[in-house]
Amino acid sequence: MQAGQGVPLVHFHGAGGLRLTPAHELLSSRFRVVAFEMPGFGDSPENKRTQTMPELASTMGWAINKLGIDTFNLMGTSFGGKTALWLALQSPQNVHALVLEAPAAIRQPGAASPAGTPEEIARLLYAHPERLGSIPPPDPAVRAKTQPLVQRLRGPDRDADLEARLQELPTPTLVLFGTLDRVIAPAMGRVYKDLLPSCHLVFVYDAGHAIGTDRPEAFAEVVADFLERREAFVISRTETVIHP
Amino acid sequence: MKVSFFETVRYRAPQALPSEWPVPSGIYDRDAGARAYEDMIQRLEYVEELGFDWVSVSEHHYSPRILTPSPIVSAAFIAARLKRIKIALLGPIVPQSNPVRVAEELAMLDNMAQGRLVAGLLRGTSNESLTYDLNPAEARERTDEGMELILKAWTEPQPFGWQGRHFKYRTISIWPRPLQQPHPPTFALGTSRESCEFAARHHLGCGVSYGSFDSVGRATKYYREQCAQYGWQPTADHIVYRANMLLADTDEEAQDQFKKLPTQAPFSMRPAVREAMTAVDARNIAGEARPPITIGALPTAFVGGPDTVVEQVRRCKEVVGAGVLDLSLHPPGSRDVEPLMRSLELFGKKVLPRIREI
Repeated sequence: MQAGQGVPLVHFHGAGGLRLTPAHELLSSRFRVVAFEMPGFGDSPENKRTQTMPELASTMGWAINKLGIDTFNLMGTSFGGKTALWLALQSPQNVHALVLEAPAAIRQPGAASPAGTPEEIARLLYAHPERLGSIPPPDPAVRAKTQPLVQRLRGPDRDADLEARLQELPTPTLVLFGTLDRVIAPAMGRVYKDLLPSCHLVFVYDAGHAIGTDRPEAFAEVVADFLERREAFVISRTETVIHP
Repeated sequence: MKVSFFETVRYRAPQALPSEWPVPSGIYDRDAGARAYEDMIQRLEYVEELGFDWVSVSEHHYSPRILTPSPIVSAAFIAARLKRIKIALLGPIVPQSNPVRVAEELAMLDNMAQGRLVAGLLRGTSNESLTYDLNPAEARERTDEGMELILKAWTEPQPFGWQGRHFKYRTISIWPRPLQQPHPPTFALGTSRESCEFAARHHLGCGVSYGSFDSVGRATKYYREQCAQYGWQPTADHIVYRANMLLADTDEEAQDQFKKLPTQAPFSMRPAVREAMTAVDARNIAGEARPPITIGALPTAFVGGPDTVVEQVRRCKEVVGAGVLDLSLHPPGSRDVEPLMRSLELFGKKVLPRIREI
C-alpha cells in the first residue's frame, strides 16, 4: 500500500501482518510511504519457501526494486525490524536511514510472540487497549498460516551472527521502544546502542509494543524529524517565544 | 519503627505575618532569615543526637511557613553539616520541575551525602500550582510522566531520548549516577490511586500524609494490593507516614495545647481562588474522591503524653502499616520555637526508645 509523496519510506510490518495505523497517515504527509505485506502474511498464500530472515529481506529488496525505488528510508516494526536490519546489511548503499519500532531482532531470554485470546493479544500489544475502541481481532486462519513462517524466521533471542554484523552497519538508525512494551523488554534498546555505530534510542512514554497505534503523533513526529535531519535531529527547533 | 523529623525551618518573624498565600516578600526580615537556617542546623544536630533516622525536607513556595522553596538546596546544606542522619527529600514537586534536572541533582546529592539520600516524588499541594503557572488539570499526568522519566534517567546506561506527552528530550545521559543502586530509596508520595499504582509498578515505596489512620490506611491497603498485582510484597519500610504529633508531659497538657492549635489552612488562598481551584484540582484516596486541602488545619494524628502516643503509634502500625513516621512536632510557621524543642526532647527521650520495636 502506498500514500504520500517525497522520499520513499518503506515499512515492514510485525508478525501480526500489515495493519495501517494513524502513524502511517501522519508520515504520508511528509514521505511516500510504501507499506508492504510480506509474502505469507495477510491474504497471500502460505509461504513455505522462505527459510531464513536474510532470505525474506532479500525478497523484500527485490520487491522494492520492482517498484522502481532505488534509495529509500526503511522502517521495520517488531519482527519486521529484523527484516529491515537484514536488508540494510545486504544493501547499505540503498538505505538512507533506518527506523526500528520495538524491534524483535534482540530479545530478552524467553521472549514469546504474542499469543492467546484476542483480548490477551491486545493486552500485550497496546498500553491501554480499552482506550483504542474496537481493533479487528486477528483472523485465526491467517495466524495459523503465518505462525510457522514467523517461528522459522524469528531466530534465537540473541542472534550472534546478526549482532556481529550490526557492528559494521553504518546506516543512521533510530530505535524506538514504548515504556510499556510487554512483548520485547524496552531495556533491549540499549543493546542496539551498544552494537550499532550510529544509533539513537528513544523511549515513547506510555506506549506499548505497537507504538504507532498507541501514540501515533509522538511516534510520527520523532520518526519524521529523524528521517529529515538524521543525527542533527538532536538539535531542538521548538520555539518557546510566548508573545513577541 | 523508624522516625524522621520533618524540618520546615523556623523563621522567627519580628512582626505578625499575614496568613494569606502568597505572603508579600517585601516584609522578609534578612536577619531572621539568616538566623533561621543556622538554627536549623543546631536543631538538626540535636535531632541526630536523639537518634532520629531521617530528617525530611519539602518544597513550598512564596511563604515563610516552610522556608524551603528548593528542597535540594536544603538537603545539600544539611548533608554537608550532618554526618550520620539520612536526608529525605520529600520531595521535589515533579510536575513543575525539569525531571532530568531532578534526576541529576538527586544523583549528585546522593554521592555528596555518601549514599544517605532518600527521595520522595510528588504532585504538590494545590497552592503550588500557582507558583510556576502549572495548570492543575495537567498536574497528575505531568507527575506520573516526570516520575517515570526520573527513574529512567537514573537507571538507563545508554544515552536516550524521551518522547513524552508533557516532556520531550532528544538526549539524556546523566552524570553522576546515584551512589545507591539502582537508585536511592524512592517513595511515590500521595494517597491517590495513581500514585499507589505507580509505586507498585516501579517497586517504589509509598508515602502518605496527614489523614487519619483509617483514611491513609485505605491508601496503603490499596498500595499493598497493587504490589501483589505486580508480584511483590512491600515491607513496612516501604511505607512512610507524615503526620502531626502533639506530645506533652501528660495527656491533659497535650489536650489543652491541642485546643490552642491554629485552625486555618496551611497555605490559605483567597476564597475566590480557593473555590476555583477546588473545581479543577481533582484528588482522591485510593480512587475515592476527596477535596483538596484548602480549608482548615491539617489533622493531628498523635495527641497525648508519652504513654498515649506510644499506644497511638502501635495502632498506627496496625492500621497504616507504616515502618517510617515522618513527624511534625509543632505547627510549622509558628514563631515560637521553644515548644518545638521541648517536644523534640520529650519525643527523643520518652517515646523514641519505646517505639523502636513496634
